[in-house]
Amino acid sequence: MTTLVPVTYKGGVYRHDEIMDLIDDLGGYIVQKHVMAQDVVLQSFVPRDDIEMIRRIAKPLAGEVVEAPLVGTEIAVVSPSLEIHHLPHISCDIAEYLRRSGAKTNMVGLARGFGKRIANLNDEERDVINEHDLAVYALGNFEECIRQKFPALRREIHVPIVVTGAPDRETLMQVIDPPVEGYVGGIGRIMHRFKRPEELGKLDELVDEVSRALDARRDALAKDPLSVFPPRLMAIIEEQIHEVSMLTHPTPVTAQMEGLRVKLPYDSYADDVRSLAVAEGVTVGDIADVTPSRMRNYILIRIKPFSETRILV
Amino acid sequence: MPPLNYFVVESPDEVGRVAYERIAGDVLQDLDLIKVIDRLHIYVDPKVPIFVAAGLLRHMPRAIRIADFANVNRGENEIVLDIGDETYLAPLLQKLWIIYGKEHVDQPDRFTVVLPVGMAGDEDLDRLVVADPSETLYKDVIYALQYIAPEGFKVRRQYIREGKFYYVASEDTLPTDIVETMVVPLFEKMGVTL
Repeated sequence: MTTLVPVTYKGGVYRHDEIMDLIDDLGGYIVQKHVMAQDVVLQSFVPRDDIEMIRRIAKPLAGEVVEAPLVGTEIAVVSPSLEIHHLPHISCDIAEYLRRSGAKTNMVGLARGFGKRIANLNDEERDVINEHDLAVYALGNFEECIRQKFPALRREIHVPIVVTGAPDRETLMQVIDPPVEGYVGGIGRIMHRFKRPEELGKLDELVDEVSRALDARRDALAKDPLSVFPPRLMAIIEEQIHEVSMLTHPTPVTAQMEGLRVKLPYDSYADDVRSLAVAEGVTVGDIADVTPSRMRNYILIRIKPFSETRILV
Repeated sequence: MPPLNYFVVESPDEVGRVAYERIAGDVLQDLDLIKVIDRLHIYVDPKVPIFVAAGLLRHMPRAIRIADFANVNRGENEIVLDIGDETYLAPLLQKLWIIYGKEHVDQPDRFTVVLPVGMAGDEDLDRLVVADPSETLYKDVIYALQYIAPEGFKVRRQYIREGKFYYVASEDTLPTDIVETMVVPLFEKMGVTL
């Protein structure tokens, strides 16, 4: 079986459809397409052996192909508050940087996340964060505050967590108990945009830390693969349910590591999604849980592993 | 940062101290207050928890009068105000409407205001106070400190008078003697008595 690797293609609008067809023909998947004026960014999965060929074909079009470790993941950037008088928030820079590495990021500004004694997480915030592949917690400057408030902010969060804060990595590891999946020190509350080289270096460190945390999850998935590869199911949904093409969201169907978020109302479309045929005699309902998402009225699809369904599409 | 004559941030947490030095610098720069503030001393202790900022203003800007931004030309039948700088035009019109009544204040174009002669208050027209920037300056300074203070510190006490200001904030209720115990010593360090 060919291994699909996550890559980002950056190029011009001119003849980019040829690249899209090429990726499709090679058996790859395009997870996200951004058209920004003259530029096109395609977040996609392509067979490892064919990357060179895509590079060669894209060369006359001035397109470049770079590995993007976070393609096909949805990450929550959690900030204790997104108050207007504390802008610019570092979570904005963090979210933007993770996006450049291919992730789909959502900002989660907590309603009552500030203050070390009074910080808490409500059920909606908890459920929304748990719908992601990973949560990045952008915490503040004081060790003492992180120690006191973090247990409240992580309560009942099951997804991997990467914490950022002003104290160095070792201190963060020390004050956070039980341990989380990743730590990046030296990013606290900063009242300016990231622009210095050492600040940008911290963001690269964050991307490494996030991809390391996700790799651990990917390894576990490789041992018991999902019944269908999420981008594949995404392609089927986009092809079969034509209402998806009429949505104005940047990502009408968002790929996650173990599922999909479909931005159609659950009440009217859940049954259509469940009865959708993935292959001969196999419907989405057979291989996945189709549940209402806590994010607006969207549909959340959780794909079941092979060990549970005995089906591999 | 800044050409402040005195700028100190104190905290038992060294990492937090450095971070707050940056934050204070960024905020004062963003809000263009570096030239206004002369001395500033900040003390943050997340364990108490308490945030105290105390300082002195350099000088207060004086009140803006009509003569500062317009020429007053007195004619036989009318007074013509020739506006040089539009910044304070809106508050000027507000004041004139109150004094003369809206129907007597004519503004043929952006830079000209025509008033009737012979109404009360004519003589001192040049000296009429249109705006007092120090009013908004007070607000700006307090806003900046609110901006600098940690996000969770919602309980606060503020003071700004005669060139001295302080801002105390905490997550918990502030003790009644907080000014005597925390603020006065900071002013003493700057060589000033509150």
